[in-house]
Amino acid sequence: MLLFRSEEHVERWCKTHNLPRRPLVSLEQLWQLAVIWYANRLTEESRRPGPDEMGEIFDKLGLRGTFWQVRR
Amino acid sequence: MDFDISVKLAIYHAIADTGKAPTIAQVAAKLGRPTVAIREAFQRLFAKRLLALEPETFEIRMAPPFSAVPTPFAVSAAGKSYFANCVWDAYGIAAALHQDVDVSTSCGCCGEPMTLAVRAGTPVPTPGIAHFAVPASHWWDDIVYT
Repeated sequence: MLLFRSEEHVERWCKTHNLPRRPLVSLEQLWQLAVIWYANRLTEESRRPGPDEMGEIFDKLGLRGTFWQVRR
Repeated sequence: MDFDISVKLAIYHAIADTGKAPTIAQVAAKLGRPTVAIREAFQRLFAKRLLALEPETFEIRMAPPFSAVPTPFAVSAAGKSYFANCVWDAYGIAAALHQDVDVSTSCGCCGEPMTLAVRAGTPVPTPGIAHFAVPASHWWDDIVYT
């Protein structure tokens, strides 16, 4: 995933590359995702969240809809 | 400790210390185990989606949030340099290291330089927005392109 200066720049990039515009994620949401995903990555217990957990995480952060649905 | 956990910790601590992903041979030397055992552990960690491997050599391409190869997301923390796989992982390095970081990157559209920073566990407010090109259910179809 990429960082853009603004929503307008996302729109322009999608048109240039003929790609669909996907839901946008604020930097605050992105930070929360990073903390949930990676805060214990250097520890013995760390693991990637499973599909159900991922769904709960996305929902908690307001990332909802088919784009965020995870294969189970 | 479970062998795969020992391998995982050896990988992540090496990256955190040096900014570089260790090779199979380096992890084998560190743990005093044969390279074949380490290669197999790398493959099991890949199956758990904790690593992405180079297809021919099975060396590390990604140990998320860290990238083993240079990317447009350069992260500095405590005088060390890292590469993140994407903007999410750039913040992820701050979260994983529990350190202040500065991220040098650019707008995916116009290439204008952009910076992100994390201080004391909080991102410094910055204009910008993230766009995921691939739906969540397909992230690991090609984890290098998401």
